[in-house]
Amino acid sequence: MDNDSTPSEGKRLDLEEIMSRISEASRQVVSGVETEKVKNWVTIHIMGRAYRVPADLTILTAMEYAGYRFVRGVGCRQGFCGACSTLYRREGDYRLQAGLACQTRVEDGMYLVQIPFSPAAKPPYDISELDCDESTLFEFYPELARCVSCNTCTKACPQDIEVMDYVQAAIKGDFEALAEGSFDCIQCGLCAIRCPAEIVQYNVGQLGRRLYGRYGSPEPEHLARRLEEIEAGEFDEGLDRLVAMDREELERLYAEREREKE
Amino acid sequence: MAELEYIEGYPAYMHELLQRVHATRDRRKDQVPEAMTPQEQQEVLKLHPDYAPGGKRKISVGPNRGDIAPDAVADLLEAYPLVEHGEIDVSEPDYDVDVLVIGGGLAGTTAAIWANMEGIPADRILLANKLRHGDANSIMAEGGTQAADRDADSLERHYLDSIGGGHFTNKPDVLRGLVEDAPLIMRWLHQLGAMIDRDENGDFVEKWGGGTSIRRLHSCKDYTGLEELRVIRDEFRGREIGCVEHYPAIELLTDAEGRVSGAVLYNLETGEYRVARAKATILATGGFGRLHIRGFPTTNHYGATADGLVLAYRAGAKLRDTDTVQYHPTGAAYPIQIVGYLLTEKLRSSGAQPVNVDGEAFVFPLEPRDVEASAIIRECYVRNRGIDTPSGLRGVWLDTPMIEVKNGRGYTEKAFPGMIRMFNRYDIDMRKNPVLIFPTLHYQNGGVETDPQGHSSVEGLWVAGEVSGGVHGKNRLMGNSTLDTMVYGRRSGISAAEYVRSGAEAGSLTLQHQKAYVEMLRDAGVEPERRSPMILPEYRGKEALARMIDVF
Amino acid sequence: MRIPYYPGCTLKTKADSFETSALAAAARLGVDLVELPRWNCCGAVYSLADDDLIHHVAAVRNLVRVQEMNESGLVEDELRLVTLCSMCFNTLKRSNLRMLENPEDLEKINALMDREDDYLGKVEVVHFLEILREIGFQRIGELVERPLADLRIAPYYGCMLLRPAEAGIDDPEEPSVQEELLSALGAEPVDTPYKKVCCGSYQTVRDPSAVAGLAYDILEHARSAGAEAVVTSCPLCAFNLDSRQREVREEHPSFQEIPVLYFTQLMALALGLGADRCGFHRNYVNPEPLLRHKGLIREEDHG
Repeated sequence: MDNDSTPSEGKRLDLEEIMSRISEASRQVVSGVETEKVKNWVTIHIMGRAYRVPADLTILTAMEYAGYRFVRGVGCRQGFCGACSTLYRREGDYRLQAGLACQTRVEDGMYLVQIPFSPAAKPPYDISELDCDESTLFEFYPELARCVSCNTCTKACPQDIEVMDYVQAAIKGDFEALAEGSFDCIQCGLCAIRCPAEIVQYNVGQLGRRLYGRYGSPEPEHLARRLEEIEAGEFDEGLDRLVAMDREELERLYAEREREKE
Repeated sequence: MAELEYIEGYPAYMHELLQRVHATRDRRKDQVPEAMTPQEQQEVLKLHPDYAPGGKRKISVGPNRGDIAPDAVADLLEAYPLVEHGEIDVSEPDYDVDVLVIGGGLAGTTAAIWANMEGIPADRILLANKLRHGDANSIMAEGGTQAADRDADSLERHYLDSIGGGHFTNKPDVLRGLVEDAPLIMRWLHQLGAMIDRDENGDFVEKWGGGTSIRRLHSCKDYTGLEELRVIRDEFRGREIGCVEHYPAIELLTDAEGRVSGAVLYNLETGEYRVARAKATILATGGFGRLHIRGFPTTNHYGATADGLVLAYRAGAKLRDTDTVQYHPTGAAYPIQIVGYLLTEKLRSSGAQPVNVDGEAFVFPLEPRDVEASAIIRECYVRNRGIDTPSGLRGVWLDTPMIEVKNGRGYTEKAFPGMIRMFNRYDIDMRKNPVLIFPTLHYQNGGVETDPQGHSSVEGLWVAGEVSGGVHGKNRLMGNSTLDTMVYGRRSGISAAEYVRSGAEAGSLTLQHQKAYVEMLRDAGVEPERRSPMILPEYRGKEALARMIDVF
Repeated sequence: MRIPYYPGCTLKTKADSFETSALAAAARLGVDLVELPRWNCCGAVYSLADDDLIHHVAAVRNLVRVQEMNESGLVEDELRLVTLCSMCFNTLKRSNLRMLENPEDLEKINALMDREDDYLGKVEVVHFLEILREIGFQRIGELVERPLADLRIAPYYGCMLLRPAEAGIDDPEEPSVQEELLSALGAEPVDTPYKKVCCGSYQTVRDPSAVAGLAYDILEHARSAGAEAVVTSCPLCAFNLDSRQREVREEHPSFQEIPVLYFTQLMALALGLGADRCGFHRNYVNPEPLLRHKGLIREEDHG
């Protein structure tokens, strides 16, 4: 905390100074770490070659620190898009780990490689013409029947999804379990890359969720009512008035609008 | 310096400080600070990065000469093209289509689908992506999508909430289109199979959003954008519409009349360029978070570098509201690995309160975003009631355990699986302990001006989503951005298809529009090294960069 | 009696009426079949290859779930796992036997499944017919509310309940458990020499005509022995014998269709649980005319 006394709010503040303090505080996030400030280091092996990198970084930022400029293998940088799938092993551990480069902290002795693309065919279909039962899933993804429940997919999932369980839900036609169980999927492809049965789990989940979303529950009645009202032009006059309204009148209406009860 | 001791993911001193948040929770449960009066709002907004002095200037060239823009944006607008007229042959098309869509987030993907639905064959449409299809800000939208579809709600109310939140600067006819089409978009999403949260009656669950007067926010847990994008992208793929990835547009092409006739695409891996000719071009390139305006971290994806603004502006399109930037009030401020990441506004609409170092709630949790963000900056840097992190960042607490106090045990896990996962990776249980927040660069409020069909001021060029300006005015409300992408993706796709069907011909392919622009740059004395669009930000380590040499 | 229950995929999809009738009948007998909270496909076929251990993982994983149910208190000290589908029964039971006989195999599978608890080899796979035998057919007879009087039914065993002997639930040459059940329900069992002949199951996708040929033999022999319906304990046999009658008729125009029932459908009917629980709508050859004719389905049953 600052030691100086809290300035009174009435006092004229140097706002520009505040902005530069904020900018200064964020600098290592925005424009990279400053080597002289790094206290802890680790060595990671990027595709076999060793690099010494700051221990606070993720695989993604560590690779950038080491000099890699990403064209592939990067997207949202926050764990949503699944572009930065990475496989790695820790020294002395036989397990092949899978993770997102943007979400995984570097560890000393880590050997890694990115898997920026996962080849997977997705058959075309029109959701409005399909039935919501397991035969639809088998029609497009007959390889589902090859699942031997080895659970490798689950172990590969960086989202901690029970992938095998939702594949099994697909096989037994339990659409709710399939849809809810696969909901957090970011389609990074790591399950499919590791699957010995060559199933593309994330595509199966996608089809299952769409079938469940469309056929699992009917359109809400309140939505249908509102669309009918719009069709009947019930809001036209009110919107005409608002669009033509001057600022003063809008400000008054805005200030007076009632807040719905919590 | 000794190693820091960590408790539950926090350094010991922070862990000690957060006990004050636990101590006051019971009292704060029913004592939420009042919303600010307009006067109080005006006062605190002086601290907003848009209004604080510095960091911006007047644009010196082009259709918006004299308008204010952040320095980082003005730098890109006042910059020379990556390739100039005469340097490459663009006369022969490699792709020859009816509709070219640039950018594959929600807006671009929606536009391509609706162009196809309106009669443009799938092989006469091309979607060009800078990264992979769907690697976009859309996929990271957490909170939800607004649509006035409850009986208690109305389109007028949605309009009024939005224009008030935008400080009465929204473009009225464009905003009207947004609220009018919102329920239709919800129907479309349902028909495509999106899993929108429902209550026990089958009605949509609708939540509060900052600055709204009624519950209107539709969610898919805290993965709303992910779910919307996954479903819409799957629909796109099911239609077998043309798509290229890692092919950003680096310049628009124009014909002799100045109409947009396509774009120059660039293969990010091989360095080759490709010429795409199109009768109609839809720009859906998203925003500019990766410019790190005023040095802020950002919630945006890797490719959010304002390319579309630059391309459209050079082709003569008018921009608007370039002076404002949306800072999301609740970016993560700790730990360092996730600084700037979005913590959805839905956390606050579900009961989480911003709390200062003394454990006091200091602001109504659901002010419009610019007001809320300014209040947090004030708490940290004027009142000095923030919490300093080991990296030097300062923030305030977001009291996330309050969510279960208000909604019952187990609620957080059900509603915010993504948030829980993110903090768990750093040993922080947000159900048990508060998390640290500070505003983060989130959204480009302004952009390329459009009409209610998404058409820009240049013939042959439509604009949809974050790259457009007007619909949100100078401040966007929560839940209106995903809505905007789909409403104006759809409208621009339909309008472009109509244009093509009405007999529009593909124009000649030139970079002529650059000539006058480059002349203006020279006249304004812009140094020749400055080039744009940026395409991707630079995050390589300084030591590595310093030793790089170019040998082949 | 609360027993862990493994439904299998077929009973959750194409043959869900078999499960509905089974659960209703079991409940009437005081047996609570508690579905495994997590289960996966059994593997569908018992792998005979010595070096193909991976195909036993699926089965063993389900056995681990039984241990978990005991640990979590979902069932009390009940290590039996009940199945309805003969195919699942055979696959699970034989994998279990292999694990018990080859500790090295079990060790390997436990190592492969590293995130699961080790399978300790204590689970016993049983078929629902064995539970019925344990309850006693006399006791079941006492609970019958609508005896299947004057109904002549040929039991069909197929392969999976009887072979190999170490996995079978009855004498592989002279099985009797279905006859005993039918008698308890009040029906008249009709013996046929084809009751243990394979229905051709594995060929049903590749060579439906071969299956239709076998179905013809099995069903014609049942009819010529005087049977009015056939009963089976395997949903896959039921499918082959029932649905393939379409192909049989194409091949043998004089063939008369004969209803094929799953044993739990007859149980639900005899125990007076109502025609709705029997799920006859799923049957290809509608058994309702026969059952109505015999007075076993009555007008008051509907609505």
